[in-house]
Amino acid sequence: MKLKTANLSVKGNAFFGFFAIILLLFGACSKDAETIDDEPPVIDISAADAFPVQCSTVKRGETFTFKAKLSDNVRLGAVSVDIHHNFDHHTHSTEVNDCGLEPVKVPVNPFLFIKSYAIAGAQTIYETDIQIDVPADVDPGDYHFMIMVTDEEGWSAMRGLSIKIV
Amino acid sequence: MREIFTLKLFFLLMLTCSSRSLYAQGYAVSGTVTDVTGRTLAGVLLVMDSLGQVGKSKADGSFLFERLPPEKYLLTARSVGFKDQQIKLQVKDQAISIRIVMEASVQHIEEVLIEDGIPKRKREESLNLDIVNHQYVQKYLGGSLMKSLERLPGISTIGIGSGQSKPLIRGMGFNRVVVFEHGLKHEGQQWGVDHGLEIDQFAAGEIEVIKGAASFMYGSDAIGGVIDVKPELLPQGERLAGSVNMIGKSNSNLYGGSVNLGGETGKWLYNARLTSLNYGDYRTPTDSVYVYSYAVPLHKQQVRNTAGRELNYHFNAGFQDDRFRSVLSLSSTFNKSGFFANAHGLEPRRVDTGLHDKSSRDILLPNQQVRHLKLTNQTSYQMGIHDIAMNFGFQHNFRQEHSQYVNHGYMPPTYPDTMSTSPILERQYEKEVYALNVKDSFILGKHRWTVGANTEYQQNTIGGWGFLVPEFNQSTFGLFVYDKYTLRDNLILHGALRYDYTRLNAFEYRDWFPSETGENTDPERLLRAEDMTRRFNSLVWSAGVNYNPDDFTVKLNMGKSFRVPIAKELAASGVNYHYFAYEQGDATLSPEESYQVDLGLGWSRERWSVQVSPFYNYFTNYIFLNPTARFDHFYGAGNQVFQYAESSVARYGGELQIKYNFWRDMSTEVLGEYLHARQLSGSKKGFTLPFSPPPSVLLNLSWTPSGSPGLDGSYLSVDYLIKGTQNNIVPPEKKTEGYSVVNLQAGFYLRMGGHTAQVSIQAQNLLNKKYLDHTSFYRLIELPEAGRNIVLSLKVPFNLI
Repeated sequence: MKLKTANLSVKGNAFFGFFAIILLLFGACSKDAETIDDEPPVIDISAADAFPVQCSTVKRGETFTFKAKLSDNVRLGAVSVDIHHNFDHHTHSTEVNDCGLEPVKVPVNPFLFIKSYAIAGAQTIYETDIQIDVPADVDPGDYHFMIMVTDEEGWSAMRGLSIKIV
Repeated sequence: MREIFTLKLFFLLMLTCSSRSLYAQGYAVSGTVTDVTGRTLAGVLLVMDSLGQVGKSKADGSFLFERLPPEKYLLTARSVGFKDQQIKLQVKDQAISIRIVMEASVQHIEEVLIEDGIPKRKREESLNLDIVNHQYVQKYLGGSLMKSLERLPGISTIGIGSGQSKPLIRGMGFNRVVVFEHGLKHEGQQWGVDHGLEIDQFAAGEIEVIKGAASFMYGSDAIGGVIDVKPELLPQGERLAGSVNMIGKSNSNLYGGSVNLGGETGKWLYNARLTSLNYGDYRTPTDSVYVYSYAVPLHKQQVRNTAGRELNYHFNAGFQDDRFRSVLSLSSTFNKSGFFANAHGLEPRRVDTGLHDKSSRDILLPNQQVRHLKLTNQTSYQMGIHDIAMNFGFQHNFRQEHSQYVNHGYMPPTYPDTMSTSPILERQYEKEVYALNVKDSFILGKHRWTVGANTEYQQNTIGGWGFLVPEFNQSTFGLFVYDKYTLRDNLILHGALRYDYTRLNAFEYRDWFPSETGENTDPERLLRAEDMTRRFNSLVWSAGVNYNPDDFTVKLNMGKSFRVPIAKELAASGVNYHYFAYEQGDATLSPEESYQVDLGLGWSRERWSVQVSPFYNYFTNYIFLNPTARFDHFYGAGNQVFQYAESSVARYGGELQIKYNFWRDMSTEVLGEYLHARQLSGSKKGFTLPFSPPPSVLLNLSWTPSGSPGLDGSYLSVDYLIKGTQNNIVPPEKKTEGYSVVNLQAGFYLRMGGHTAQVSIQAQNLLNKKYLDHTSFYRLIELPEAGRNIVLSLKVPFNLI
């Protein structure tokens, strides 16, 4: 009888011992005091002077200024602009509405603009002021104006706007 | 209690003494196998457990194991149509003769579910191991093998639509999990987030899941875990037998089935299987999804263009006698499935809804199709104390991704007629793999040694107008030695050492179209990958212990594992337009190294079983695709630079399994998993790793009536799965809200004429809950997972002779 009790208590001890080890294992490693930045940057085109916005029109042979307000909680990284044709309607914008697409057509000399700009210094708010020339000989029609922005941690935000080149 | 009863009633253990068969190295165990009426049984599989020796009873029911060292053994006798019988033996100083009486299994035509209790294999393996069989797959049948295994704690999946998914073991996936099939590493395109696993779940026998690093046995890539899919057991006994499995699913309107037929003639075994599945678009409990701010209405809640088809066939033929066994297998899996049409990756796509919504079963663009051909030979030979095994395999993986041509970046506005590539073939990957594994296991005293060598050669070519991964070939050679030292009946030590050599040659790739390269330079065709050769050497080790006092099982394992970087990580410089990512490889990467400690604690009594398996893992250099703050408007065509980088990483977590049989045939189960990962260095210091599954708890209530005639083998069970919120993310992931879903499973046997059909019913996501799965392929575009799905499956075994 005595032996049996002793045996049981050994088992019990072992059982709680196991859980103690597990608690120790978890306890020893859960020191996550460091906070990380998990907020992506923001592209704001709601200001009155923001350009282009959804359904804006730009003219061939003229220069327009890309104006948007970029912000991040910690530090902005870079901004990229991509203007490409959407004559085939393959893609749509990221916005709520479309702007009445022209019929599908075959591109001959579509406008293509790809450029990126590093945002120097530790800025949390940056207003773009980028001059973009639209050559006179490009195809008019439906285009996408894509804005991509990163912050220093590599988070990104994207807006794809539908614009028209006339 | 029942076991003892069975033992008393059905085992007649007759020990007779004879000094005739005395051998220098040990003693013989011989005997006969009969059924309860005394009729001798041929072809009964006999496994001498601690040795791993396998034999079969001859035509007169007799069997013989020679030269067994004095020790305790567990002899398992197995035959189709009979219950497994286990006999404890103790070889002392003389030969033993026994009689084994097999009890026919009236209802249990298939083996008993292994999920109950802790099998011996688990008690003797120091790695963290879960074993399930095809009954388990049948009970929890999902859209793919991995979905069916997802219920196991520590296992999650990266789901791609309703028919495909890839494994995540404790948050490790892609090239960090090795899938083994027929004793060989399955080689597909593991690196791709939208690539499934080319395995037919209906052809799977027993499946072993190793959670945690196991490089010493399985080589590079087994740094996160192993899924070892054993072939289905070939029919035994002089007969021609098979089964028909029919499946229907309500959510995707899936119908299909799997048929197998096999037999044994003399010493020859043969088996064939055909699986065919056809499914429509899966449905999600929402009428519209938002691709960014753009609302996409879903026709009848169907996720547009996610239909698919699967067609697989398998042929196995083998020869088996007392010492020699050789099985040749040929299998082919084919899968074609569509991708959600309204967003390809993160890229919004305009669709012709009229065309797409006309049928929910057609597969339009974009879509993927994969054909995987596998030819394997598994040969084993028993020579004295040696068990020699040789596996040879050839695999051919052919994958195509189709998508309409869109002139991303600097690509020409219209697809040139001069191109030989089809305008809808975006990517094509072709892989040929030759592998040879040789292994010898032998017993020396209390040591069971295993020495082995693995070699593999693979050749990879690419096609299509999109580029992500260069062409490459790769040779690997590995040598390992493993010692299992049974110190005492309940104390086993393990030690292993492995050396690997890998040579990788990646080949040059140049764009087929010119890009701008600077302000005042002429456009040129960019060099996306250079010719390069890398050689890697790795030495890894593992040590473990099993201690099984009474009702407890204690296992501890620690070891070093490695993974050789893949060609994409080393050499690529391609733009993944669907993710707006310019992915840059790094030719200087070293093999990933990881150290892991695994603890497994189990306690099991008549009504209780508890298992806890915590782990700690440290990577010196985890390789991951790091999104940077930069854009590249030449090579990257204006996209964000994602650069392969290394960082040290600490991970810990564990799984919990509790089972309690609280009243008669009623039992409850709690399955839990937790994982935490943190990068300790590099530019993402403090962040977690991509695809970290949230903590989860599964509560189950089961009713498994036994003893009442007609109900034997039936079950009714409900799972309540609670997934936690995942706030630990790394760019470009999004935080994912927690959720809970209810799943029901029921099954019973149905007598139909002379046949006994096994009926399995499931209600997955019973309450039609709308939720996002953090590790799903479609998570980033906020596409909810499938709604309610009723799965009905009927399995009818038959005998032709």
